[in-house]
Amino acid sequence: MVEKLQQNRILWLSSLTCNGNSHSLLNHPNLDLLLQNIQFLYHPLLPSRYRLKEVIQNSYECEILVIEGSIDPTLKINGVKMIDVITRYSSIAEVVITAGTCSTFGGIFSRSNEKASGLHFREEKRTEDFKNIWQKSISLPGCPVHPDLIFKTIQMILKGLYIDLDECRRPKIFYGWTVHDGCNRNEYYEYKIGHHRFGEMEGCMFIDHGCRAPFTRGSCNKILWNGINSKTRAGQPCSGCTEPDFPAFNLWETKKHMGIPAHAPLGVPKRAYISIAGVAKAFKIERFEKRILKKGSAVEKKH
Amino acid sequence: MQSDTRSTAKERKREAIIREALEQFSKRGYYSTTIPDIASALDMSVGNLYNYFQSKEILAREILRYISRYLGNRIKEINESEETTKEKLFKIVDIYFKTASKEPEMIDYFLRVYLSNREVFQEECKGMTCVTEFVAEIMIFFENGVARGDLKNQEFFSAFGLFMGYLGGMAFLNGEEILPKELQEFSKDVSENIYNALKI
Amino acid sequence: MKKSIELIEKIEGEAELHCAYGTDGRVVDAQIQFTSARNIEKILQGRDPKDALIINPRVCGICNHAHLIATVRALEACYKSVKISQKSQICREVTLSLELIQSHFKWFYLTIMPLLGFKPAIEKALKPSRIAAEAIAAFAGQYPHNSYAIAGGIVSDITPIELINAKERIEALKKLFKESLIDADPALFKECDKIETMLKHRGDMPLAMAKIIENGWQMMGKSEDRFIVFAEGAFKKGKSIGTRVSTNISTGHIKEESIKRSLAKRVLYKDRGYEVGPLARAMLMKTALIKESHRKYADSIFSRILARVCEIPQLIIYIESLLHRLDLSEESWIDPGEFPKRAVGAGVVEAARGSLVHKVEIEEGVIKEYNIITPTQWNLGSGDIEKPGIAQKALIGLKNSDPIELVLKSFDVCSVCTTH
Ligand code: SF4
Ligand code: SF4
Repeated sequence: MVEKLQQNRILWLSSLTCNGNSHSLLNHPNLDLLLQNIQFLYHPLLPSRYRLKEVIQNSYECEILVIEGSIDPTLKINGVKMIDVITRYSSIAEVVITAGTCSTFGGIFSRSNEKASGLHFREEKRTEDFKNIWQKSISLPGCPVHPDLIFKTIQMILKGLYIDLDECRRPKIFYGWTVHDGCNRNEYYEYKIGHHRFGEMEGCMFIDHGCRAPFTRGSCNKILWNGINSKTRAGQPCSGCTEPDFPAFNLWETKKHMGIPAHAPLGVPKRAYISIAGVAKAFKIERFEKRILKKGSAVEKKH
Repeated sequence: MQSDTRSTAKERKREAIIREALEQFSKRGYYSTTIPDIASALDMSVGNLYNYFQSKEILAREILRYISRYLGNRIKEINESEETTKEKLFKIVDIYFKTASKEPEMIDYFLRVYLSNREVFQEECKGMTCVTEFVAEIMIFFENGVARGDLKNQEFFSAFGLFMGYLGGMAFLNGEEILPKELQEFSKDVSENIYNALKI
Repeated sequence: MKKSIELIEKIEGEAELHCAYGTDGRVVDAQIQFTSARNIEKILQGRDPKDALIINPRVCGICNHAHLIATVRALEACYKSVKISQKSQICREVTLSLELIQSHFKWFYLTIMPLLGFKPAIEKALKPSRIAAEAIAAFAGQYPHNSYAIAGGIVSDITPIELINAKERIEALKKLFKESLIDADPALFKECDKIETMLKHRGDMPLAMAKIIENGWQMMGKSEDRFIVFAEGAFKKGKSIGTRVSTNISTGHIKEESIKRSLAKRVLYKDRGYEVGPLARAMLMKTALIKESHRKYADSIFSRILARVCEIPQLIIYIESLLHRLDLSEESWIDPGEFPKRAVGAGVVEAARGSLVHKVEIEEGVIKEYNIITPTQWNLGSGDIEKPGIAQKALIGLKNSDPIELVLKSFDVCSVCTTH
């Protein structure tokens, strides 16, 4: 049974998830604009055209299918395997978006569940499943995915704009560069100023504290989170949540081999990194030696 | 220097100057050697030599870069090979010893000129910036050794110090003609000692 | 015996509600079953304890920050002693309170209002929750899913800019509270002690509460009338049997029990079930308006719903008073030293839905066991007819025509937390 409805219908299905991507989308400042142009057949939080039960039992026409969460072939909702529901709707929809690292690469919940995986990938390995919909898939990894990435991707689809995708079907416009791009600690990175201390604006966390941004694809530091900040700007090392290997081990410490970062920046040969870092480290730059913000200068007047 | 098929006459000349200066600096010392000495040995005018190197300090630093590149390139080939860490280490030590015996001025330059005339190199060669190629390759060797699970993970300098101190010491003994046999004949034992000290 | 199975959706996931009805058409047994499990605790085993700070927020999209704070408290409890500045303490309390606010707004407007027959007011839910999220991000980098609290304090350098960014948004939240929930200043509203007075005001809160009375539902959903609150901060710790309060409680008496057919475990304190969450907190704090509500309608959906909404103004005031005391010249982070190689620690926090407990055991420097007890387990964990769970008890006795879903959702059920 296929019912014909209006255009721009989005169906949002969840598998093994924390719902973080659904909540993240809700933080988009222009969500109301989106809601004027689309209709949610189902969304886990927003008022929707149908109840989940109906979605599971029937086959409604929809243009965009959004999948959130790691896909576990044994997971059943209301007695129906979720993977069957996903299969059914992914053949109906014109575009299938995997929202978040779980539905893209398997993510956190595939670490305790061998059967769970992303739509096309289990970590970086391409799986055999869902091959027939590869051509209509768009991957938006992130834990959670930044709301603006979903928002803009849907806008591009609705407007019929060409989306340039990479080998994992991620839009290059969002994932072509790394999270490092735009961090306000960049100067410290350039000159390899390692003495980062938690709780301070100064210093780069790649040197010691496990920042994965230089080899993590994403735009967190350019579009910013919640419109105002980012983790690395605030002082938390990037944990690489958009990457297939998320969550890696020992996320607060830079893995080093004889003092040399085990992971070089994305696409940079280790030789190039070592040479440049060696030169940068040779110079003592006064401006970066001391804190720029004097402790106590930030005191708010007590009333 | 890396054999460059496009190398022009000018580049060849440049290298000849470096070679000549290298020899004179390491034999007679940095301060006793003058630019006119080098120019006359090469049959060129002092003015012309200054076209290539604006000052003696610049020349001295270029020599250092030259040596670093020379050794770096050779170690790079070893690093890029598929050999085991132990085998690579042997080859690196062997290249170093070979250079020290076949082209002793290079290693001499390192030991005598660079290390004893720090004032000449101070600003421009801060840290290890004039020997980047060489140091980078040693780093890559170490890094790879740890990544493969062969070498013990530790601070770079504790490993580098052990490595360079040992090689430098042997080159010094060789220079003083104290060693009972050819330096290269020590490559196997020395590399094994280093490996045992650095291995996991 | 008539039976029904309902798929309850939009509860941060789903659950199945199995009801059995007696001959009089009333619910005699209600089983709440959660069907997916994600085994976060297993993912943590063998990892560096600090990784838990990154992984645990991913238990839940809506109360991720509570999971972070519970984690950091559990980790800090592993040290012999940890010094943390008042500044970082305040920041943690502020961001945590903001998370409660956004959760309550979403729940009220997206879950409760539609169940009372009102048109869903998406903007009224999303605007305040977005602004609260921004205020969290000002301090913590992003929301959801940041890990800005670490053993010894917070990672952020709070400067006047971050403070201004946060304060602007608190002001906006205050305005939104007045504009949409009730036309009263939060500070004044806190003093209100008469349901009558509240109902006379304009706003969606009196509208919703009046509707419950109008429908004759105000006595429905009563449960065990036993409440428990484990964490301090904005609230008071203790348990309350009816209105009899005792403050002497300890997490040591908490016990988890597996439930047949459901992937969630239920939780008991000294072998008895307790309600956690806003109503429990209001009972412990003796919030004037809720005290009156309890006197009139006991622990019904009326009290339960009102208590949750009333936390919004209370938390706004709490945040303001905290920020007033914030001294930016203090350290954000004080190095606690190396993490102990062998230790156990527990952290408790009051999350939007109630007390959240994290327990960790470290051996040879890595996590050996990790245990999370979530609020929804307290409220939604099923029992048997002799000893029903809290929500179960609230449902028993209802007729098919009664607002079963509303009674269930008055607990603000969170499926993902329950099945972490
Ligand atoms: S902290 Fe991370 S994102 Fe920021 S500059 Fe350093 S490496 Fe880049
Ligand atoms: S900064 Fe890194 S860890 Fe944070 S959301 Fe972006 S990609 Fe994920």
